[in-house]
Amino acid sequence: MALSCLTRALRSLTLSQPALLSSQTPVAQLKLGTLVPSTVSQCRGFLTTASLKQNRAYLKQLDKYTIRPIGIKKSGGRDHTGKVRTRGIGGGHKQKHRWVDFQRLRYEPNKEGQPFEEKVVEVRYDPCRSADIALLAGGNRKRWIVATEKMQAGDIIKTSGVIGRMAVSANEGDAYPLGALPVGTLVNNLEIQPGRGSKYIRAAGTSGILLRKVNGTAIVQLPSKQQVQVLETCIVTVGRVSNIDHNKRIIGKAGRNRWLGIRPSSGLWKRKGGWAGRKIKPLPPMKSYVNLPSISAN
Amino acid sequence: MLPEATRYLKATVSLFSPNVFLNASKLSAHGAPSSLQTRRNLRVSRCLAARIPPQKKPREKVEIPGLDMVTYGDRMHYVPGLAKPVFPPWEMSFKDPRYYRSPPAQEMALYKDKPCYVFNQRTSILEGVRQAAWLTKTHVRPGPLPHLISLAAKPENQLPDQDERVQNAIKHSRFWDTTEPRPRKEKYSNTLLLNLLHLCGSLQLTHPAVGRRILAENYSLAATWKRGEDLFQIRGRNGLLHCSMDPLPRICGEQEVLETSDQVLESFYPVSPTIDLQQVSVYKEEMNCTGFKGEYPYPHAHTLYFLETSDPNCQLHPEQFRAKMIMFTFGNALARAHKLYGTQPQSLLERPITVQAVGTNGRIFQFLVFQLNTTDLSGDDGIKNQAWLDEDVELYDFAKVRPFIKRKEVKVPAGLAGYKPETFSKFLALFLHGAA
Repeated sequence: MALSCLTRALRSLTLSQPALLSSQTPVAQLKLGTLVPSTVSQCRGFLTTASLKQNRAYLKQLDKYTIRPIGIKKSGGRDHTGKVRTRGIGGGHKQKHRWVDFQRLRYEPNKEGQPFEEKVVEVRYDPCRSADIALLAGGNRKRWIVATEKMQAGDIIKTSGVIGRMAVSANEGDAYPLGALPVGTLVNNLEIQPGRGSKYIRAAGTSGILLRKVNGTAIVQLPSKQQVQVLETCIVTVGRVSNIDHNKRIIGKAGRNRWLGIRPSSGLWKRKGGWAGRKIKPLPPMKSYVNLPSISAN
Repeated sequence: MLPEATRYLKATVSLFSPNVFLNASKLSAHGAPSSLQTRRNLRVSRCLAARIPPQKKPREKVEIPGLDMVTYGDRMHYVPGLAKPVFPPWEMSFKDPRYYRSPPAQEMALYKDKPCYVFNQRTSILEGVRQAAWLTKTHVRPGPLPHLISLAAKPENQLPDQDERVQNAIKHSRFWDTTEPRPRKEKYSNTLLLNLLHLCGSLQLTHPAVGRRILAENYSLAATWKRGEDLFQIRGRNGLLHCSMDPLPRICGEQEVLETSDQVLESFYPVSPTIDLQQVSVYKEEMNCTGFKGEYPYPHAHTLYFLETSDPNCQLHPEQFRAKMIMFTFGNALARAHKLYGTQPQSLLERPITVQAVGTNGRIFQFLVFQLNTTDLSGDDGIKNQAWLDEDVELYDFAKVRPFIKRKEVKVPAGLAGYKPETFSKFLALFLHGAA
């Protein structure tokens, strides 16, 4: 019965609404989970969602890097069930996603292993993050990265994966492994596992400090004063992240918050519990992302 | 959607579990299934979710060699518990061009390991004129050619009532050529160019050589050359071409041509000169085509006319527009050289080939004269080609339909303002070059 309902629906759709056909999928094979009705697989494909390509999951599935901005759909704080999962999100200016390459040490296909230089073509505002982004061009490819404080169009930026015996005097914007930098440099875009892409210290105006280097590992202080131990082959960028006055900006009016996609909180007064108020705690212990060999390895 | 269809679909959805999703493998344009799995949300609802449920991995199919799966293929209907039969892909017994799947690139007949870099009419190269000069081994000199200006200054090379007629041509293209309040840019730039060409063509009475030319449009150009280790090609349609029965005379004497070997091409490290060019692995080597077959009566390319495209995907900045002009002018010259002298690289052509180009956006003109001296482009040293580029020459300042008023003061009046007659003289000089 379900099957006949479905086939009738599909038949009526194909006969009356050919305009729903996606122009890109003229022959789409439909395949239900467990049922395999032969009539469904023979009818022409039809589109039930208007634009499949602008949901957030599509961004995770793309494999070819592009510098073109990609359209994204606003979620409004709703999850896949359609209910609000995060309050206070909704509306705001439309934003296009620019795919930022967080793995700074990415070699071109035929030039593995050598340090390379790239030229900054432009530094521009990114609606999806607080920092500015810079378009780098080097060799045959162009890519977006998070810009550092004094980066300007026309600069030449170096990226290297080599750790020498002497520490390198790094210029701002260059990317080196932690083992090659002198202790005390301001760093950003920190990788915690080498080759996985930077996950920490990416927000506007932030910077970490390289505290010390201990046989094969390096200890970095994050902007929250938390200390982290990572392998010295992890790549970091030198300098502070761009847009340093981001925390000093004044919103000025409720409308500006709405433009940013922040919905008002509920105006109801609620008694605050034990979570509220200033807390003075000791620093948490240092987090280590280095898998040291266990002592009891028999 | 139809209410009937909605009712049926809602009924079916309610019968299944709350979330029923069809796994549709999206077929790419070539017919091969792409790696992207687009999942269709069968919930027919008004708000189309930005977040979709996490994809459940389908059950892993275990293949044990030597063990046959018992399928329900023989029984011709689904039986729970038996495996799904896998049939060989069906192929049509005859060739139907509507349902043709092209093979992957590696299996094509013209596949080569070494990629070729192709410049087409939609390419926008990062470094602009510098990159085009490096790719074509050209020494670009700014500014117009002096003897062309003197050619235009002669009274017999000027139109009667030249200024008035040109201004009428501009007014026609910018104001009178439409039923809407204002014509669109691509329309008025095209009309302006054709009007100016018509005006220049009226000199055919006094200059009979103008009659030995013809305008050609939408011809496909192809030229191949080697630069260093890489192979480059120009392919595409560049627009309007003025071709003639007689070749253009050479601009520079032999001495100056030999002096170009002392000049050094600008490098733009760390950007590679092949950036933004399309890399193809399936190409025909030695593809050279002037755009016309066999014994075309007007074989020599005289002037190319470039207009800005209306395609929003390939909007070119002025620098990239000039680079496109240089590349296509070079392509035309090279294709002609290959036809005359063969495809073997020659370090000095005894008769250099001259081609001109004019690019416009309706108000601002770019004039280019290109002389091809050599087809030996593999090294960076040696004799280079020459180009004279006159950038950003305005024909008029403003052509406003409504006056521009700021704070109750008319800053720019309606109508044509700031007409510059020198620009049209340059245009006419390029047109009459070789005919006067």
